[in-house]
Amino acid sequence: MRIVDLLKNEAIQLGANVGTKDEAIDLLVSLHDKAGNLNDVAVYKEAILKREEQGSTAIGEGIAVPHAKSESVKTPGLSAITVPTGVDYDAPDGRASDILFMIAAGTDGDKHLEILSRLMVMLMDGEFCAKLRAAKDSKEFLEIIDAAEAEKYPEEKTEEKKEGGYRLLAVTACPTGIAHTFMAAEALEKAAKEMGVTIKVETAGSGGSKNVLTKKEIAECDAIICAVDRNVEMARFDGKPVLKTSVSSGINKPKELIEKALSGNVSIYKSEGGADTSDDSDEQESFGRKVYKHLMNGVSHMLPFVVGGGVLIALGFLIDTIAGNANVGGTFGFTNSVAAIVFWIGKAAFSFMLPILAGYIAMSIADRPGLLPGIVGGFIAANGFTFKSLIEGKNLVGDGNAVSGFLGALFAGFAAGLIMLLLKKAFNWMPKAMDGIKPVFIYPLLGTVLIGLLMIWINPVVGYLNTGLSNMLSNLGNSSKLLLSIVLAAMMATDMGGPFNKAAYVFGTAAIADGNTWIMAAVMIGGMVPPIAIALSTTFAKSRWTAEERKNGPVNYLMGLCFITEGAIPYAASDPIRVIPSCMVGSAVAGAVSSLLGCACPAPHGGIFTFAVVTNPLGYIGALVVGSVAGALVLTLLKKKKA
Amino acid sequence: MVSKDFTVKNKMGFHMRPAQVFVNAMSKYPCDVTIKFGDRDINAKSIMMIMSACIKCGSEITVTANGEEEAAALAQAAEMIESGFGEE
Repeated sequence: MRIVDLLKNEAIQLGANVGTKDEAIDLLVSLHDKAGNLNDVAVYKEAILKREEQGSTAIGEGIAVPHAKSESVKTPGLSAITVPTGVDYDAPDGRASDILFMIAAGTDGDKHLEILSRLMVMLMDGEFCAKLRAAKDSKEFLEIIDAAEAEKYPEEKTEEKKEGGYRLLAVTACPTGIAHTFMAAEALEKAAKEMGVTIKVETAGSGGSKNVLTKKEIAECDAIICAVDRNVEMARFDGKPVLKTSVSSGINKPKELIEKALSGNVSIYKSEGGADTSDDSDEQESFGRKVYKHLMNGVSHMLPFVVGGGVLIALGFLIDTIAGNANVGGTFGFTNSVAAIVFWIGKAAFSFMLPILAGYIAMSIADRPGLLPGIVGGFIAANGFTFKSLIEGKNLVGDGNAVSGFLGALFAGFAAGLIMLLLKKAFNWMPKAMDGIKPVFIYPLLGTVLIGLLMIWINPVVGYLNTGLSNMLSNLGNSSKLLLSIVLAAMMATDMGGPFNKAAYVFGTAAIADGNTWIMAAVMIGGMVPPIAIALSTTFAKSRWTAEERKNGPVNYLMGLCFITEGAIPYAASDPIRVIPSCMVGSAVAGAVSSLLGCACPAPHGGIFTFAVVTNPLGYIGALVVGSVAGALVLTLLKKKKA
Repeated sequence: MVSKDFTVKNKMGFHMRPAQVFVNAMSKYPCDVTIKFGDRDINAKSIMMIMSACIKCGSEITVTANGEEEAAALAQAAEMIESGFGEE
């Protein structure tokens, strides 16, 4: 904390013409206001006057240092005036004051004592005061202070550690927390060392935070850099200058970040009741970036559910195959009792997938209050609660036709987040004393009701879409086999569990009953291609994917082979515009090949394990390979290279 | 010469108001009064010297009076510091 960092150019007025102590105070306060140090000018001035009542802050030798600690101070700072004719400030030595510094400090900490102390050390030097009096303009005034400060506190510029603490703190975090988090940390540490600045970097990686910043370090540091692509615990930085930026700028321009963080032009982070609502820094992020960050928060939390559940379900198929149950049809995967155990445990994990996705998207947007409505919204999307059931007198049960799937869950996540933000705004009027009951009663109650009402209106729309699609398929059923196969396979890849996927799948299973097993072949292959296409791309086009995405690639081969299309959801959710069309193309190609080679499948589920009962299994494998490669190629072309 | 050790109690430490009051009180005595803080000896009759030392709450200081009326000076210094200058 240097004087020159606290005293801004616009807060200095030389040769001021003030006749009385009151006028001097008015001028100094207005300079603080001009420099943007105050929230409430009147309150601050009152604090200054109250302090003067306890005894004049003039200390003799022409110097006065009025000061106040007050809630009304936004940023600690100084203002200064010189009064050539002097002003009577009730100094102990009776001398008129001609150099006046006014200190504005917040109510916490010893900051104002430190500022005072530092000013005194310099003002004790008569020569220094003479130079200040003679300064021609505010720039020269600041230069004199800077030079004197450098002389009195020579250790500052080269100082390795400030009272055992750090001048700068930083947090780095990327959505996946494997590579970029640590690259940014290393870049910042290296740059800081070169610049002679002490820094401590907390890495909020996938294995939990390392090198965690302590309360004391946060209190003592000058500024904090947050190079994060997902939300990190911010409430602890309340009242500190926080520079929020992306992980990639932490890696690419650490020096600029450090310079900016120490420039004093960093906005103070304000946390409201533990909620992440730093409007300043958020505004600096583009809309797209914010959406991406929320999305990734949901996807990264959902991923373990997909992998854990998916592998267990695949295991169920495997065990059932070994047990000789490949032919049982609809109960394949859980006919053998061991298979059933792992299969249903896997299903349990799967059933949380969409609620978790929506919940953590909402939590990223609205902080903790968002979690509940997000999860509930995701659950309703996954289970198809629909208003239409009520009208039909069936009570509000889940309707398989109205399951809006992962696209519905994405919608629910963002909607829940926004609803909670609006609720927070809407209840601003409530007295502070009621703050306690908002997060434990009002938000959960209203948030859940609102997201629930919204989703049961969204789901019937999905229901109509589903019915419409089914009708369309029935009509298509009369046209060419090839076209139907292509459309069905592509639909399987469209929303991975949503209305398109459901309509195609139901149509396929219904067709088995009618003996049209070639339709099921197209449906199943269409559902197998997306995870495999993505896995291929992560294996062979590494530059298009993040480290975490690549790491989960191999699991997707397994899920694809087992006809667990959901494996593709984390990828599709984080980049739907590129991933979904690529998957659709791949699936469509696979469906076409399957149809042309006359493949047919009598089993409704099971993926690779049903190939034994498939007609023309070699052709079917060929269809899978061709479709997956086609999908991977399109995906790789569409995806941008990662930095 | 008499001296005594203290721990600064009031939350805001030796900020300007206590420093002023302290300096005014000590200036009435003819003896020299110094505050030893860390390895610095501070003239307790100079507000600038005291302020520049930045004595925060919880700091260990030693007040020494030397000369005429030294006992009285130290007694008053003790009373002021131990009462936290009338602050919290």
